[in-house]
Amino acid sequence: MDGPDRAAERLQARAPEMELIREAQAGSRAAFDALVRQYEQQVLRLALHLTGSEHDAEDIYQEAFLKAFRYIGNFRFECSFYTWIYRIVTNLCLDQLRRRKTRREDQAVVVDHSGDEIDVLASVSDNRAFSNPAKELDRKVLGERIQAALSKLTPRERTVFELKHYQGLRLRTIGEMLNTTEETAKNTLFRATKKLRTQLAGLR
Amino acid sequence: MNCELAHERIVLAAYGELPDEQVHELDRHLAACSECGHEQQQLLALKTLATAYPVVEPDPNLVARSRMRLEEALDALPPKQWYERFGQRILNNFSNLQAAPVAALLLLIVGAGAGTLGGYEYAQTRAAHVAGRTPAVTARNANVDSTQPTPAGSAEVANISSIVRQPNSEIVDVTYSQIVPQHIEGSLDDPAIRQLLMLASENASSQGVRDDSVGLLAAECRAGHACQGEGIRDALMVALRYDKSENVREKALEGLQPYVAQDMRVRDAVLEALLNDSDARIRSAAISELEPVSADTSVRRVLSTIANSDHNPHIRTVSREALSRAPVFQ
Repeated sequence: MDGPDRAAERLQARAPEMELIREAQAGSRAAFDALVRQYEQQVLRLALHLTGSEHDAEDIYQEAFLKAFRYIGNFRFECSFYTWIYRIVTNLCLDQLRRRKTRREDQAVVVDHSGDEIDVLASVSDNRAFSNPAKELDRKVLGERIQAALSKLTPRERTVFELKHYQGLRLRTIGEMLNTTEETAKNTLFRATKKLRTQLAGLR
Repeated sequence: MNCELAHERIVLAAYGELPDEQVHELDRHLAACSECGHEQQQLLALKTLATAYPVVEPDPNLVARSRMRLEEALDALPPKQWYERFGQRILNNFSNLQAAPVAALLLLIVGAGAGTLGGYEYAQTRAAHVAGRTPAVTARNANVDSTQPTPAGSAEVANISSIVRQPNSEIVDVTYSQIVPQHIEGSLDDPAIRQLLMLASENASSQGVRDDSVGLLAAECRAGHACQGEGIRDALMVALRYDKSENVREKALEGLQPYVAQDMRVRDAVLEALLNDSDARIRSAAISELEPVSADTSVRRVLSTIANSDHNPHIRTVSREALSRAPVFQ
């Protein structure tokens, strides 16, 4: 079994990051800024895809890293910094989705910071030599239907589906991030996929 | 395997979460059950469809804007006081000590043992001293024969832990504990007095005692009398969050007012009171305390939620007015 060797490899790979974290805990702003630059893309990517709003993603980014700055002294190296910051971001996104449900806003489209709708699919580059406008339109319509179906899930179902399907995290990790068990995360995923299949039945 | 279980395992298999030993069993079921086979096809189709809403890289402008805003917020944070840095260093060193578990465990055992022994010796000496001085005892929880001579002392008997009759004799050994009422007088700046006030704010069974203790602590903080200790603010935040009396919660809120701008924990506690407190007077006072920091995104968001969803119309109006006066960031 190569368990101890792989653990040592992981530890070695994490060593520079651990040093950065220790320096940030000691009060080094430069070290904290380096950690921000390392994880900001993932944070924004997750927040943007979950909330569908640049404005909300920016707010979540701000809150997540301010919380990380405030509580970095409590980080005990029991997990990776990636898991720790992801846990903060996930819970902030969950809170935002819950507030949105309370206000009953329709977030089937993505909006930028000035409130204009932006086309997520247009930002995906088309590497084909000749694009097919009809197919592009179909893809856009399909994308909007998917977003609408996702918005019908409960905040928790939406979050679990996002973390499993789009972010590829293990159910056990998802359970830890949401402060629940792997079994609960599993059941939430079952409900989410069942609801989505019902919502999207007409598309197949 | 029944179909309901098979449906769940289909989802787990599609996402690579099914243990290897269950994959074969699922394959056998799918080969025999067309309905479950159809279910699997539907799930795979869902996975394909979901890719029509891809995860995209954030726009570089969004990243730059977010980073700049974060840097401004971090620059605006007040620097940590020397005692906060010292306390954090102690905690960090303690976390390093966790890397030496055996040493840490030994230290803990030795320390706990010494503390327990010392405390026991002190309690025994003190109980003997008090029992020797005071005249009478009130028995509470035991069947004590009234013809037996009562132990000396005005202290109340808390409990009787053992009664042993010596063999072939009329002699009985009774082991008991005593509660000794104490009285202390001192200045509000005295750490011992403050410690007792903080304990009273959380543990006193009488609302009047909690009201007095929180009122005194809050007055000290508002007057700026050396209220920098984390324990006092913590006691006020606990009272604000958990006390059943609205008078106590109101006093705690008033005591925390000087720290809303500089201490994020206090700000979060006041935000929580604004969202959850059942008393409209307290929610209104929380809005007034948060107005100087209404530039904070989290404060604006809570005010916005309250402006839309609070069941009290006056609170909704006050929130809207506070939001309209809040500075707007571009």
